[in-house]
Amino acid sequence: MPARILVACGNGIATSTVVASKIRSFMEDKGLPVDTTQTKLMEVPGKVEGFDLLVTTGEFDGKTHGVPYVKGMPILTGIGADNTFNEIYKIIKEKEG
Amino acid sequence: MHIIMDVFNWLIAAGPTVLLPVIITIIGLIFGLKITRSFKSGLTLGIGFAGIKLILDFMTTNVGPAAKAMVDRTGVHLTALDVGWGSIAAVTWASPIIAILIFGILLVNIILLILKKTHTLDVDIWNYHHMAIVGVMVYFVTKNIWLGIGSSILMALITFKLADWSQPIVESFFGIPGVSLPTVSALSSLVIAWPLNWLLDRIPFMRNNKFSIKDAQKYLGFFGDSMIMGLIIGMVIGWLAGYDLMKVMQLGVSMSAVLVLIPKMTSLFMEGLMPISDAAQKWSEKRFKGRKLFIGLDAAVVVGNQDVITTALIIIPLTIAMALILPGNSVLPFADLAVVPFRVALVVALTNGNLIKNIIIGLVVTASLLWCGTATAPVLTAIAKSVGIKLGANSLYISSFAATSMIQSFIVYFAFTWHPLISIPVLIIAFAGIWYFFDGIKHVNKNMEMQDAVTD
Repeated sequence: MPARILVACGNGIATSTVVASKIRSFMEDKGLPVDTTQTKLMEVPGKVEGFDLLVTTGEFDGKTHGVPYVKGMPILTGIGADNTFNEIYKIIKEKEG
Repeated sequence: MHIIMDVFNWLIAAGPTVLLPVIITIIGLIFGLKITRSFKSGLTLGIGFAGIKLILDFMTTNVGPAAKAMVDRTGVHLTALDVGWGSIAAVTWASPIIAILIFGILLVNIILLILKKTHTLDVDIWNYHHMAIVGVMVYFVTKNIWLGIGSSILMALITFKLADWSQPIVESFFGIPGVSLPTVSALSSLVIAWPLNWLLDRIPFMRNNKFSIKDAQKYLGFFGDSMIMGLIIGMVIGWLAGYDLMKVMQLGVSMSAVLVLIPKMTSLFMEGLMPISDAAQKWSEKRFKGRKLFIGLDAAVVVGNQDVITTALIIIPLTIAMALILPGNSVLPFADLAVVPFRVALVVALTNGNLIKNIIIGLVVTASLLWCGTATAPVLTAIAKSVGIKLGANSLYISSFAATSMIQSFIVYFAFTWHPLISIPVLIIAFAGIWYFFDGIKHVNKNMEMQDAVTD
């Protein structure tokens, strides 16, 4: 089963679509396809459990229930995006063993 | 020329599900996308529109009769159903003049950047719908294409300048440098918040109080959960309509379904427009290489802030209460309760997280949303019907907390439709005065101005 990533932004539509689809194509190129689910930031605490990774496009300091968390803003601005992608890759790679 | 008009009219007659793929494919090609890529983008938008249409039909056939029964039984006169910004965005993208408006807005940004009159680079094509809808509505009412284009251009001008002027508070409060937020749904509140905040600061108590609410999320969190919100609102409407328990529960689940499904359909629009936004971004990176600019992002990047969430969770229930008691209001808040955080995000940044001021300003903003939404619901409803959205046999209007419900968009729409020869010049002069205040007297973007001066 591919790793599951929860991608959250303000309304679960706009920026999370951009970030989710960029993560999907990046991971696919790396040979580690992932599933992404989009949601609103306000719904993260109630939804995040059971996911392998949480990525948010903005500031978030709610509960993550132990799910690893990566800030996705660089993927939007393009500044420092490589580091963010690598961070995501590392976390998923470790999960998959 | 005659043939072009015939083809165009034929496309309009075919409806948005055909028009959208064609128009977006053409826009994609102009931005240099491959034909396969841009056609898939266009088709994705067409599919998104079909999806929104389905959900809107489902929503109005379910809640329409219930809302009518509620009005008849209780005298609560809320006849304009808030169908959410996503539905409004879909209607906007389905307008026959959308392509002209999109290029007009993009051109305003590029020209302002070249003239160094803005520092905000906004190639987030998706969010152009907030500026475009005003043009669509003005064109629909006046039948004058130039007034339509003009109103969207003025919307764009105001939006990019508000983004510039609010950048310092975005940077200092949210801690994100180099980014501005040209998202009308967040910026518009500043039109009210700036003067009101100044006024409140004349009162020492307002300025200095440090109230905070802990655990707001713990106790009010369900107001931020679309699923639960939809269920509760649906059941309350059913109950007020005098339905029996079975129908109350059916309406509850149906409304919950609407709130969960609308975003899924709307995200198809986003997905379809992404390649075009990407192409615009690449182009502008090349064009403005080496110049430091604010990157315009969707305000979604700041609404996760704890102070924003707390304020929104308090404002949401108060919005419902206000809808019931505000004189002259007929908007029934529903789908856009989910985006209240956007409406308060910059208010929170402006007051530096002062909770009391946030709630006061937030409620004034809410009242403006309800009133402006009520005033423009009939036009919005007529436009939705013109692009083939059926709203059932009920004399129900549609509205939202987006489009001309927002004060910035309402003012521009009003100026272009009231007495254009008087009201447009008045608005332009007023805006020029504000522009002079922020850039000429206060120099809010001092650092950027200095950089621009060096590179001249």
